Amino acid sequence: MKLTSEHELVERCRQGDETAFRELVDQYKNMVFGLIGRSVPNRSRAEELAQDVFLKVHRGLPYFRGESKLSTWIYRIVINALSQERPELAARSIDDVDDADDRPQHQPAADDRAFGDLLLRDRLQKAIERLPIQYQVLINGHYMKGMRYEELATALDLPMGTVKTHLHRAKRQLRRLLETEFR
Amino acid sequence: MRCDALEPLIEAIADGTHDVSAADRAHLSSCAVCSARIEEARRIEQWLSSRDVPMPPASFTASVMARIGEEKWKTERAVDISFNLAIAAAVIIIITGAAGAAWSLGFFTVAIDGEALLRAAVAQVEGRVISQVQSVVIAAVVLTMALVAWWWAEAATD
Repeated sequence: MKLTSEHELVERCRQGDETAFRELVDQYKNMVFGLIGRSVPNRSRAEELAQDVFLKVHRGLPYFRGESKLSTWIYRIVINALSQERPELAARSIDDVDDADDRPQHQPAADDRAFGDLLLRDRLQKAIERLPIQYQVLINGHYMKGMRYEELATALDLPMGTVKTHLHRAKRQLRRLLETEFR
Repeated sequence: MRCDALEPLIEAIADGTHDVSAADRAHLSSCAVCSARIEEARRIEQWLSSRDVPMPPASFTASVMARIGEEKWKTERAVDISFNLAIAAAVIIIITGAAGAAWSLGFFTVAIDGEALLRAAVAQVEGRVISQVQSVVIAAVVLTMALVAWWWAEAATD
């Protein structure tokens, strides 16, 4: 979305134009629901949380100064919503994740590879849900069409140069969880 | 190259962002553990790339708008209740103030002796009525607040 049209949309929303806010919801609902739905497997809860995000956007628009992109601001609200949903994962900062911690303590078992795809999907989903919220958002957002790297980095307060490193660390943690707790 | 040195690069090799060097390749060809890790990382990568994105239901936008409408209605209702309470409080204070002023002026005895009452009122107006000014001022303030709340509610609705 171009900045001018984004600015116009925000202005119209601020003036109480309901059609404009409907447009905004239509524009971002797939991203918001996609990010939340990938972290919260209960569909009705995910829908409720996604709706809450847009209610917060509606309440916050009068105070949105446009210093960041609208999408970045919305992703931040998503991250906060997920953090409140899983406070035990939000409390764990990705900076606390030490490389040494990531080192697999077990070798992948040969029979791991014999697991069917469905089983792997199930294990991976469970493992993703155990990652710190920032890692979850990073992994879920990175593999989503239309999601921009820089917007994700800004929303997560990560310097652009470190996003790729964090993504690799997140995936390494995922692999480690599969090798240990979700064997 | 040892397994420890290759371990931090496994995800980058799996997603193709790290070029496999000759040393990496030599190690991988002889190390079953690292090969298995790379294979696992590639499976994870493949699964992450092909994962379905959950889509919101068709009624999602309508549900959001309905909740916003509900929230707005609740706010307006709270303002209405505050306004009504303020008006009621103002009316009570005005009535109390007026009753107090009437009592001070001796209006309660007007039926008995109107002329005496009038004389007494004129005599006492400077003294006792002033003590009731406070009530009138409070009533005026509350009334003004109620009118401001009403104006704000109307402006928010528009």
